[in-house]
Amino acid sequence: MTDGDLDVFLSLIERHRRYMYNLALRMTGNEQDAKDVVQDSLLNAYLHLEQFEQRADFRTWLHRILVNCALDHLRSRRRRPDAGEPRPLSDVADTIAASSPDPERLMASADWRRQISAAMDTMSPLERVTFALRHFEGCSISEIAQTVGIGNNSAKQHIFRAVRKIRLALEPHWSGR
Amino acid sequence: MNHLSDDDLVLHYYGENGPGIADVEHHLGACAQCARAYETISRSLNAVMPPEFVEIPELPALRHMLRHRVREQTSRLRGLIAVVWLVPLLYPVSLQALFGSGRWAQAHVVGIPLVALTLLWACAGPFLAAFALNHMTADRFERASTRLLVLGALIAAISPSLFLLVSRVNTWFNLGLWSWYAVIAVASLTTLFRWPLASRSTRRFLYVHRLSALVLTVFVLAHVINQALAFVSVPAYTAMRSVMRIVSQQPVSYTVMVTAVAIQIASGAAMGMRKVRAGAVAWNLQAVSGWCLAAFLLMHVFSGLLVRQPQVATTLAPPIAQFNLLATPRAAATLPFLLLGVAAFLFHVGIYARLVALAYLAEASVRRLSYAGIVVAATVVVTVGLSLCGIHLIR
Repeated sequence: MTDGDLDVFLSLIERHRRYMYNLALRMTGNEQDAKDVVQDSLLNAYLHLEQFEQRADFRTWLHRILVNCALDHLRSRRRRPDAGEPRPLSDVADTIAASSPDPERLMASADWRRQISAAMDTMSPLERVTFALRHFEGCSISEIAQTVGIGNNSAKQHIFRAVRKIRLALEPHWSGR
Repeated sequence: MNHLSDDDLVLHYYGENGPGIADVEHHLGACAQCARAYETISRSLNAVMPPEFVEIPELPALRHMLRHRVREQTSRLRGLIAVVWLVPLLYPVSLQALFGSGRWAQAHVVGIPLVALTLLWACAGPFLAAFALNHMTADRFERASTRLLVLGALIAAISPSLFLLVSRVNTWFNLGLWSWYAVIAVASLTTLFRWPLASRSTRRFLYVHRLSALVLTVFVLAHVINQALAFVSVPAYTAMRSVMRIVSQQPVSYTVMVTAVAIQIASGAAMGMRKVRAGAVAWNLQAVSGWCLAAFLLMHVFSGLLVRQPQVATTLAPPIAQFNLLATPRAAATLPFLLLGVAAFLFHVGIYARLVALAYLAEASVRRLSYAGIVVAATVVVTVGLSLCGIHLIR
């Protein structure tokens, strides 16, 4: 593969870069992990570019690679010694809060994000990825099952468990407010 | 009135309940309890908003990173190809080392760890194959380097069975070790040509594969349990084996077994290559254990048909060195073959069970169960290994 190939590839992915970073962030929960996942998936996509069939959608193909890289990354993150202290999503919320005109409302919003982030950190890699794909990306359960390589029923069960964890973290707040 | 479950409500929230959507809407309109539950779920899920990247990395940085990592990957691929091809090339040496260490251990107790080490060496092929496949850059076998890696991994994984087969066939030609290296050389030539790809769905294959696996599991489990029993008591093993032999030599049961093995291998071969891809640890282990198992069963069940050799009744229990496979060089070659056969069976069934369990249990529970399964499987393999090396509690 030449530098020319690399340039062609980069021009191909240019339109999808923001989408890839955001999807990776939604699945992993922090920016550094999201950057690592995007790097891994771009490398995989570049090395396997010959596999891409012209009639298929390039974004769908990238999406599948990205999801599987995120799963691998989340699994290896659980095995690392620092796995107990992931960088929280609240960092992102705080950044947004800094540029917002209503600090009080956004303080509450940051608190919510912290709760959600904590709930998502209790999810297993499969629960986290299937939930992110269903909830944030609006993928259907059969699409998720196909992308991740599990059965429909299995995908459904992982989403149910993920939702239970979210509810467990948030519902006490509903009754308290 | 039957209330809707939380899972039904989650499906409804995501619009996943298909044709039943109208019924659920109707129920929610009529049942206050379910409507309240649905509202709570909706509020919680509505609060989970997608995070966004503030600033994404620039393109030149990505370009630099990709160029660097592609170079790294290419040199790693070369290393992996060398490793997997070294396994079959050095396999006869590992057997020699195993036999030599076994003889030494009979005179010196300190030689026992050496036996364990040489046995690990002789059995390393499938593990190195799974490792290599997990790090390969799959391209549907379009590049010669990928074909070299996959074929090397395949031969490394099935080396123990293939070596026995070649040595059996070799009794006709008497070419010595040259026949082994000739087989490897001929096999490596296939990497020069493009491999055909199965484009059909493997769903139907999977059904047939599972069905024949069920039949075969009964026979194989009986063998494995009996072989482990040999560690506890030789007379018990002998008694059970004679009963099993009577059963398996009945024309009906023999035909069923041979048919099941043939179906397993044919359907497994169709699926095996499609499952192989970088990073998919479970699928790669499933494929490699499947290759090992197929080679083991092929050698075990069909060896009598493939090669005319009346003095050896069965591969599994050579009469000369039945209770100590380290007694002769020829018997030593069957030790890795048998141990990897048992390990491949347990791995193959275990990984399938893990994938099924993921549909019903939480991932953390499945992981804990998997660890327990690995401990049980390792215990069985070690027990069988001890019995095959002539170590028994009751003789």
